[in-house]
Amino acid sequence: MVERTPIADILTQILLFLALLAALAPFGIVAIAATQDLRTVNQVPMPLIPGHDLAKNIVEAWARADLGRKIVNSILFAGGVAAGKVVIAGLSAFSLVFFRYRGRVLIFWLIFITLMLPLEVRIVPTYAVAANVLSPYQTLLDLTGISWLIEKVTSVRIALQWGLLNTYTGLILPLIATATGTFLYRQFFRTIPDELIEAAKMDGAGALRFLKDILVPLSKTNMAALGTIMFVWGWNQYLWPLLVTTDAAHGTAVMELKELIPGSFGIPDWNVAMAGTLVIMLPPLLVVVLMQRWFVRGLIATEK
Amino acid sequence: MRTTLFSAISTLAFACLLATPATADPVKIDFWYGNSGDISKRVQEVCQHFNDSQKDYQVVCTSQGSYYAAVQNTIAAFRGGKPPTIVQVFDVGTLDLMLSDAYYPANKLMADNGYKVDWNNYFPGIRAYYASSKGDMFSFPFNSSTALLYWNKDAFQKIGKTEAPKTWEEAAADMKALKDAGYDCPFAFDISEEESWQLMEQFSAVHGEPIATKNNGFGGLDAELTFNKTKFVKFATDLKNWYDQGLAKIKSPKTGEDYVAAFASGHCQMTLTSVGDHGNIGRTADPNMHWDVAMLPVYEGTKRHNSFVGGASLWVLKGHSPQEYKAAAAFLNFISQPEQALFWSTVTGYIPVTKTGFEYMKSHGFYDKPPYKGRETAIAELNVEPVGSGPGGIRLGNFLQIRGELSNGLQEIFANKKDVQQALDETVQRGNAILRRFEATYKGKQLP
Amino acid sequence: MTTSDSELGLVPRPLVGGEAPERSAGRFAGVPASRKRERAQMEGRAFFTSHWLGIALIAPQILLIFTFFYWPAGVALFWAFTLERPWGGGNEWVGLANFTAMLSDPVYWNSIVSSAIFAAASTGLAMSTALVLALLTDRELRGSRIYRSVLVWPFAIAAPALGMAFRFILAPEAGFMAFVNKIWPGLWNPALHGADAMICIVIAFSWKYISYDFIFFLAALQAIPKSLIEAAAMDGAGLLRRMRDMQIPLLAPTLFFLIVINLTDSFTDSFGIVDIMTQGGPARATELMVYKIYFDGFKGLDYSGAAAQSIILMLLVIVLTIAQFRFVERRIHYK
Repeated sequence: MVERTPIADILTQILLFLALLAALAPFGIVAIAATQDLRTVNQVPMPLIPGHDLAKNIVEAWARADLGRKIVNSILFAGGVAAGKVVIAGLSAFSLVFFRYRGRVLIFWLIFITLMLPLEVRIVPTYAVAANVLSPYQTLLDLTGISWLIEKVTSVRIALQWGLLNTYTGLILPLIATATGTFLYRQFFRTIPDELIEAAKMDGAGALRFLKDILVPLSKTNMAALGTIMFVWGWNQYLWPLLVTTDAAHGTAVMELKELIPGSFGIPDWNVAMAGTLVIMLPPLLVVVLMQRWFVRGLIATEK
Repeated sequence: MRTTLFSAISTLAFACLLATPATADPVKIDFWYGNSGDISKRVQEVCQHFNDSQKDYQVVCTSQGSYYAAVQNTIAAFRGGKPPTIVQVFDVGTLDLMLSDAYYPANKLMADNGYKVDWNNYFPGIRAYYASSKGDMFSFPFNSSTALLYWNKDAFQKIGKTEAPKTWEEAAADMKALKDAGYDCPFAFDISEEESWQLMEQFSAVHGEPIATKNNGFGGLDAELTFNKTKFVKFATDLKNWYDQGLAKIKSPKTGEDYVAAFASGHCQMTLTSVGDHGNIGRTADPNMHWDVAMLPVYEGTKRHNSFVGGASLWVLKGHSPQEYKAAAAFLNFISQPEQALFWSTVTGYIPVTKTGFEYMKSHGFYDKPPYKGRETAIAELNVEPVGSGPGGIRLGNFLQIRGELSNGLQEIFANKKDVQQALDETVQRGNAILRRFEATYKGKQLP
Repeated sequence: MTTSDSELGLVPRPLVGGEAPERSAGRFAGVPASRKRERAQMEGRAFFTSHWLGIALIAPQILLIFTFFYWPAGVALFWAFTLERPWGGGNEWVGLANFTAMLSDPVYWNSIVSSAIFAAASTGLAMSTALVLALLTDRELRGSRIYRSVLVWPFAIAAPALGMAFRFILAPEAGFMAFVNKIWPGLWNPALHGADAMICIVIAFSWKYISYDFIFFLAALQAIPKSLIEAAAMDGAGLLRRMRDMQIPLLAPTLFFLIVINLTDSFTDSFGIVDIMTQGGPARATELMVYKIYFDGFKGLDYSGAAAQSIILMLLVIVLTIAQFRFVERRIHYK
């Protein structure tokens, strides 16, 4: 791009094109399967010539899985998760990198460890918390005797109750607490030269001002990457939304996808399942395309 | 034009008035089940039928995506204080629930709500699986099935046979004949964890071989596995020999085509699978392919015993109001009606669980013609002899993990890492350790 | 802002305490670098002094992870010391019995080895491929806009689609691999050969994570201003030289981030792939630790066993991560 390198250019294009094929191949298979009829899709190997049943399969999948409403729910849910993660992780990393207080390193590790225990293992107690998000605090009050004390003194029995089932809060909150974003921001913030901070302090700008006017603009590409990944990740969450939404109106699209997948002894209508998959995958794919505009290289060195 | 519009509007307004409920809202209950795909659609239809048939109750049916997720999510909800009213629990999950304090026994539920249920109407083979030691049924069988031998009539015609093999010796001879006639895959089977039930469990059932002591676990939590000392060892050895000779092939999603699809496409000529696949094979096979089902073969000289029922049953959970239990009882009563049995067996491959249901279907000519002809074999297989002459099923704890051990053992056999007896001995040893852990977890508890 | 030529280059400053040397090159080349650090802090970084603000900023996350992670995880992990009944109603205290049973079981050690192999293979494959692709895309040749989107798409694929598609590609009788098996019969059979099955899950897992790594690499590369690249080119650095000496070192913080995340996820997030593709087989060849946890706990309702295994897995990953922070991060130059 700076000098002429025709051989390197050709090589680059070839490699990238091969990568493109590898990236698209599975999607292509799904798309082809979505166009087949029942008998063809179950042939092994599945023929790679597209069939004619795409519209029919999509209609069937849409109706069975109530996709319209579910996709809207998913958009709100995944958007909430992405926004929540970007904001919370940013604030936490800002605190960890640019402040000094005791226990910082411990807190970083505590946040980090949340990556290491998958939800499936802690699903039962996590659900209990979602059913009553104040139950840990209730238990603590009970265990330390505080609630007994308060009852004795004021004869008011403390029974904290705040249910999060079937709410967007319950869907989103437990998922935005993880460490990926915090770690990412930390890496980036540590590359910020001290001079920027010193200069900001000399100008009399407080920490929050620094965050808003300097850090956030600098973090744009990172935020875009994180937001994209987290939207897609949130979109594909299956287990937690399934558990937290017992009301069909609150369901998400990927939950419905699981229900479309042929189970044992049912008719193996993979064509319908893949048609549904195709529709459900479209929004995150679109988000990825749209977010690319934030990946713009700066022309000159960024300045304060 | 105007008058039509006016009449349309007035009709709509009138309809809205009528639609305003003058009565109370129906009592809503949750039913969580594990089926997905096409079966899930059918379950929704059953629920819809119930909701449409009356106005007092409404059942909200939600698929959890898989049997495991249904049980796991229900446990989470139960321990979080918000369980569904009815949950579908698959065979392997039965014992944990039975030993817990979380359910409202079916017989008590129906009696408390004024329903007289003839529990003897349930087929004995099915009933035994879900009943307590006293014979009380704690849950409602819902989607039940059993294993059958599927055979390709066209291929068998080529080797001059018009009937399916009745013994494994005959089956072996048929496999050889098929191979010589040019068929590449006379017999298809799978040894993944989800699939060992027909190779070991159903085999042991029809041969009357114990899988574990204490009547396969019905007699107590201190049962021990025994299938490394029974005819199953012979069967596993034979299977390995057939595999080595190219007469039997492993067909699974990992190789590409699973054994049901292999049979339906005509690539393989015989396989063992559930009656539940009868409908699929009908739908996905070439219409010109002639095939049929038969009872599982037994070794020569063995008396045939009942096969085991597979599938899942419906349990009612504690923690609900009397109104909700009324609704649950109404729903469970509804689905046990013969008409519902006919519907369910028509749209799925599952078999009717009640005698009246079966008779009703027979009288409507259900079993007389394709695509349903042949499924009555499954009922016959479950009821070869009266109940009480053997265990009615399997009642072992952590059985999913035991199945996993067996599957690993079989895989080691077929990957030539261990010989048959050695692999099965190790499986039984590890399986017994699992059973002892289960026993310790429920120390002091008696089987109901 | 003056830009002395030393600021564009790499001027080592005197080390204070045991800290790593910090450079002042990179995207902030317009900012004057100070040669001497007068601070006595161990980390040598500027900071804001308000304690309470710092704590207030991190409080939301702490509250969230306490409520939704540590509290439930604590309950779940407590079960490792008991024999827990799935439906509740009682448990038996057994102390460390679950752990000793686990650690004396050769099958369990097999799963530790499988997990390590899987983690190393998938992390290596994903990161190296993603890095190359990101460097190539960053050159902004024709069509790069398409590549930037499509190469991220694999991360968005839904799990059932992944399973079905890869079954089509990798199964010995279906699709592509059938050709290979026609030429060399019996060569490829993930249903019976353990190594083939491991290759399957490594490919399927890496395929997704290549996208994940790619987007972060690309973001980091795109943040390098053009002027810097041009300056280096004018200094006579060719394409490969620029990649090796400028772009990759500037990627170091991102590289570290991705290594840690890739390794962690390959230990803790891979059970889905195994469940779809191999279910731990054949003969336990792909029985990863986390899959065993999923199978025993989520499917098999053995909460205590799963909890004990989870603790061991967590400790393993924590030790691994601490090792990375101690030995690898030391050599990363942040500024």
